[in-house]
Amino acid sequence: MRAELLTLALIVGAFTWAFRFFPTKLDVSAMKADGVLARFLASTGPAAIATLFVASVLPMLQQGLPVPLITGTAAVLATYLASRSVVGATLAGSAGYGLAVWALA
Amino acid sequence: MSFDTPKSSFATGLVTALPIALGYFPIAFSFGVAATRVGLTGVEAFGLSLIIYAGAAQFLALALITGGAPVLVAAFTLVAMNVRHVLYGPALIKRVGPAARTRHAWAWAYGLTDEVFGAALGALARGRVAFSEPFMFGLGVGAYGAWLSGTALGAYAGGGALENWPVLDAALGFMLPALFLALLLSILSKVHLPVIAVAAVVTVAGTLAVSGTTGILAGMVAGALTGLLRRPTDAR
Repeated sequence: MRAELLTLALIVGAFTWAFRFFPTKLDVSAMKADGVLARFLASTGPAAIATLFVASVLPMLQQGLPVPLITGTAAVLATYLASRSVVGATLAGSAGYGLAVWALA
Repeated sequence: MSFDTPKSSFATGLVTALPIALGYFPIAFSFGVAATRVGLTGVEAFGLSLIIYAGAAQFLALALITGGAPVLVAAFTLVAMNVRHVLYGPALIKRVGPAARTRHAWAWAYGLTDEVFGAALGALARGRVAFSEPFMFGLGVGAYGAWLSGTALGAYAGGGALENWPVLDAALGFMLPALFLALLLSILSKVHLPVIAVAAVVTVAGTLAVSGTTGILAGMVAGALTGLLRRPTDAR
């Protein structure tokens, strides 16, 4: 592995580990359930996942007609509502997206 | 979840990691293919996955490396991109409450990626698991194993592996958005709708106005701040 690549990986890897580990040591036990920080943290999960979904589909929306995106998203929604399965919904969404790309080709 | 519920095991963590593994493997395969396409060796591609273990940052690393960015500039661009992870540990620990143990967090928190955080939160919210450090290890090992094996196979397949399979390439490319949406549905409740709406709008605005990294950070923080606007008596 080239030295500059290894350096890059070690710097980024070390910071990423620190970002993931050290905050787990914060004492949140004394935090009031309805307090400001508690409500902020409770909203972090939905906010993070919504953000990552939007960020991942935004480039697809910028490429033109989002028919595969609509098909894939609809497949995820329909499968999750029918089965409550994260695995099934993920696979159905991917298959729906691929099938729409194939149909439009 | 009652405190009487037995703590979930390493094996339960592995099972909970299944949707992540199904999403990670093809994405990591794509990363291995892309890395060898831009001139990295298989060992270098695998090394980035082994040490950095952050998908979006790794794809951006390829762009920075091929663009000729200096190592330190590239490194701190990628570090800035991963700052969002500081929110995950406290959010998870707060969700678990007094049952949270972090003695070995120095090891399992290495695997606290976006998807692992989302899956852990979703499983806890549905009451299907009780937090334990072995459970977090299982969840992390399942996801990390899929990421490493996918990268290795993609690097082995080489840069032109998906050129003749555009439909498969497209379907694999939607695996991660599909996983994020499914995870979002799994933790969705009425009180979170304003949080999600604000996060989405700010992400789009930040991405279009400044950059993808800014959009992600701004979306997360704006969404979480929106959670402060709800009445303290609202259900979680």
